[in-house]
Amino acid sequence: MKISENWLREWVNPAWETSQLIEELSLAGLEVDGAEAVAPAFTGVVVAKVLSVTKHPDADKLNITQVDIGAEEPVQIVCGASNVVAGMKACCATVGAVLPGNFKIKKAKLRGVPSNGMLCGATELGLPDTGVDGLHVLADDAPVGEDIRCYLDLDDQVIDIDLTPNRADCLSVEGVARDIAAFADCQVAQPFTLDTVSKQGACPQSIQIDQPAACPKYLGVLVTDFDTSAQTPDWIVRRLNRSGIAEKSLSVDITNYVMLELGQPMHAFDADALTGTVTVRMANAGERLVTLDEKELELKPDTLVVADKAGPIALAGIMGGLATSVNDNTQKLFFECAHFAPLAITGKARQYGLHTDSSHRFERGVDAELPERALERALQLFVECAGGQVSEVSSAIDKTSLPKQAEISLRYERIKKLLGVNLERQVVEAIFERLNFQIQLESNGWLLTAPSYRFDIAIEADLIEEVGRVFGYNNLPNDALVAPMRLPHLPEAIQEQMFIRKELVSRGYHEIITYSFVEETLQNTLVPDAEAVLLQNPISDDMKAMRTTLFPGLLQTLAYNQKRQQNQLKFFEMGLVFQRHGDETQQTPMIGGAIVGPINSPSWTGDDRVADFYDLKGDVETLLALSHVQDKVRFEPTQSTLFHPGQAAALYQQDRCVGSLGQLHPGLAKKAGVSGKVYLFQLELDVILTQKIPMAEPISKFPEVQRDLAFVVADDLPVQALLDALNTVDNPWLKSIELFDIYRGQGIADQQKSIALTLKLQHPERTLQDEEVESLVQAYIAKASEKVDASLR
Amino acid sequence: MQQTLQAIVSQAKETIHTVSELTHLDEIRVQYFGKKGELTQMMKTLGKLSAEERPKAGQIINEAKQAVQGLLADKKQALENALLEAQLTSETIDVTLPGRGVNIGGIHPVTRTLRRIETIFAKAGFEIETGPEIEDDWHNFEALNIPETHPARAMHDTFYFDAQTVLRTHTSGVQIRTMENRDVPMRIIAPGRVYRCDSDQTHTPMFHQVEGLIVEEQASFAQLRTLIIAFLKQFFEDDQLKVRFRPSYFPFTEPSAEVDIATNLFGDGRWIEVLGCGMVHPKVLENVGVDGEKYTGLAFGLGVERLAMLRYGVTDLRQFFENDVRFLKQFK
Repeated sequence: MKISENWLREWVNPAWETSQLIEELSLAGLEVDGAEAVAPAFTGVVVAKVLSVTKHPDADKLNITQVDIGAEEPVQIVCGASNVVAGMKACCATVGAVLPGNFKIKKAKLRGVPSNGMLCGATELGLPDTGVDGLHVLADDAPVGEDIRCYLDLDDQVIDIDLTPNRADCLSVEGVARDIAAFADCQVAQPFTLDTVSKQGACPQSIQIDQPAACPKYLGVLVTDFDTSAQTPDWIVRRLNRSGIAEKSLSVDITNYVMLELGQPMHAFDADALTGTVTVRMANAGERLVTLDEKELELKPDTLVVADKAGPIALAGIMGGLATSVNDNTQKLFFECAHFAPLAITGKARQYGLHTDSSHRFERGVDAELPERALERALQLFVECAGGQVSEVSSAIDKTSLPKQAEISLRYERIKKLLGVNLERQVVEAIFERLNFQIQLESNGWLLTAPSYRFDIAIEADLIEEVGRVFGYNNLPNDALVAPMRLPHLPEAIQEQMFIRKELVSRGYHEIITYSFVEETLQNTLVPDAEAVLLQNPISDDMKAMRTTLFPGLLQTLAYNQKRQQNQLKFFEMGLVFQRHGDETQQTPMIGGAIVGPINSPSWTGDDRVADFYDLKGDVETLLALSHVQDKVRFEPTQSTLFHPGQAAALYQQDRCVGSLGQLHPGLAKKAGVSGKVYLFQLELDVILTQKIPMAEPISKFPEVQRDLAFVVADDLPVQALLDALNTVDNPWLKSIELFDIYRGQGIADQQKSIALTLKLQHPERTLQDEEVESLVQAYIAKASEKVDASLR
Repeated sequence: MQQTLQAIVSQAKETIHTVSELTHLDEIRVQYFGKKGELTQMMKTLGKLSAEERPKAGQIINEAKQAVQGLLADKKQALENALLEAQLTSETIDVTLPGRGVNIGGIHPVTRTLRRIETIFAKAGFEIETGPEIEDDWHNFEALNIPETHPARAMHDTFYFDAQTVLRTHTSGVQIRTMENRDVPMRIIAPGRVYRCDSDQTHTPMFHQVEGLIVEEQASFAQLRTLIIAFLKQFFEDDQLKVRFRPSYFPFTEPSAEVDIATNLFGDGRWIEVLGCGMVHPKVLENVGVDGEKYTGLAFGLGVERLAMLRYGVTDLRQFFENDVRFLKQFK
């Protein structure tokens, strides 16, 4: 909410500079987003009257004017503005004036004619552009000689206050002033007195409330025989404009002014356009209303409307209808001033794509006792400007439905417990007096009743917040938390995630964080068999589907960086993926990575190898080894649309697939926007988050025996199959089987390859006998032959 | 005899002096000490001497032998030294060339910041809790005292899957889950991704939060303030950091505050909002079955990206999720 500082100071004027006022507002919980001067600094500009205008003898576009600036003698000014006429009032920068941009006005000669000052346009004074070409025209009654800053109230700031939803009581100048007064411990000044406007005759417009819970109070009044040509006074326009509201017509401007001043939204109808009783009711299905902004709405039956005999004339508390709105020909006005309950309004404006100053206030709540006073204020202002006959106020009030102020107990010791500060009882009482609460003493504290505008106060904690707020959060004592020392629960079998991250970082990976929602089509192309959950209201269509794997984000990041000439890339991400299984959405923590390009930065060593499958696999195996599950996870060739058919593996833990890795299918690279051979992996994070608690075994003192064996097998046999075959040999002394060579070529038949392995054997308590070793080796050879048709080379 | 020996020694001295190869030196050793070596021959003459002459002669021959052996040993050492030196000289490399395999990556700045926050709180006894990102209405809103009709719902710009299922708008739901599942007292923090349907220069639809919660019998707003100020000073490593608390509003805390900081390290000493906090609303405690008369709760929520931006001088929020490697490389 934007309000003029000068307007606010008319209501409350503590001895605070603007900067302190802003600071204090923020510290009171009325956060100031900013403050802006309404005009830049300038001096020496006064209200002037143009007495005469004559053509400049030597310049077509210049005039010579005689100008009354309130001095003894008129001054002569040469003026180039096209709208200058004798008799007008204008802004005149006198000799010695300094205009924005440090532009100094001096005596001058223009084409030989002396000129003592300058008549100014709006932009030359840094005022909002009114669209007038030429001089800024002032009202005829502007007092000649008065400083323009004073006359136009330019020494003012617009303060923009960002109110939290609970402080609807501050959605007005009066509301902000009340809170400042409580903080500054001073009084709110009443800048006007409400002498009741004289009223004659009953209001001929009948009104009726069908929904008292939604609208417990509806006031209306008819105004006739007013001056239809009356204009909104400049000072009202100025204040509306400074609050960001454009002037429209006198009656509308006044309702807006009262809304800003007191916080009560109102509406003015053209009474001649109304037929029958004005009724507050729910909309009937199928009813339509064209609103002031000329949109035709089809009303839903849960919408509260104001209607006459012919149908809805306003969305209650939100916006009036076009057909009954005030126009230049309006002869009779019906002013509405009602209380609508927040629950009846909340969400309704949004439902119709609307948000108005009125709905903003009613959704958050308006003081239910305000309508009478606000209506009186509006009538006072209207009659001052346009005269007219005012009827008696017609009112429909359902007292039982009006909100009641809760009486809330505040326990003295509870203040200490919640705020952590010991306050004297008088201090607490003084705070509530300043906030206009009614105070009754109780045995252990007080019974408090909030003023009607503080309908946000509902429970004891709200009262304690008020105490803290006015006492000042920043005045609370320093007090460190105390608690018994509890040693942490630290399960050693759980691997720290940072450990995993650091390992990948030391292997050259950069961690990335990508959005959890991705483009649906690309995701379906990459991973067609996973079912995604879709957002109802995505930011954009390409962020609609929740990711089912980490691959889309990884690929997108590769693409983004390749487009920026970065070609050596290694990324990983950790995060949840979301897959739908029937009615359930599983949210699974995953770790995934992508690599492409040279393994090393360009180097004098000439090692410019490009990343391949085994680089990636080594990284994955390292993660598994870190977590001591490398023996429990198996890599098996796999087929999927995502990967190159000959370079893809699935990871199995027991029978469950827990991850995959491989080269991105070259056919998908273009769709994913990436180039080069891209390798991807993804693994359930939980698989590597558990680790074995080590159990030490004695180191054998006896020699380790090694036997190298080379098997010839079919070329397409996975090494894993041979290893699986060898592992079926029952050998309690086996330390390890290490693969050290794969060979194809001379000496090996076509379609065959040689796999060379080292068997390492060791007995814990004695030296192994040659015969024992020999018989084991024979067992391995036999198994290899039996299971995978391997022969010894 | 003495003269003969002197001649041998001085000749040996001369010969050894000229030697420049280890193999040559060995030949010389044989020349003197081999089976037919000059000094070996001299020893053999001892037998022909009388018993009185023998000790004296033996002594001078031994002296000559030691002298020559010494010369040989010194020379050998000198030659070996020279050889090693030559070898080392030939093996000189340019130690200023870069080493192999230095291709370190980096932790994402958001993770780095999260880690820093977590570590500070973990060392003070906070446990780290996590929760789902697709969250139900109860945990994200209802239990936190944000009913359907509450204006605060509109503040949240929520992503919906259906009427009852949302992308969590804060990690406060983890508070609820933890209080539902564990006994008080507790001190937890809940870090993680959160989502708001908002995207412009200063908003990304996904960002990170760390929610903190303390439920204890003696936990006051003054203590919350003390804790937050201490945290911020530790996080920014700035004892002079200015911190102010402003009354604010969150449906799930009462009283509530927003916290601003001001420092000369960044932001020209202007107030910058960094977090929200407050005393857990009695309704929230009631919703999870905690006795609000006996226990009080402190809660706070930190925006991780905001802290990361201030700490590391990042000026555009969106950079965190573009993952430009030239940006990421700055956070090794």
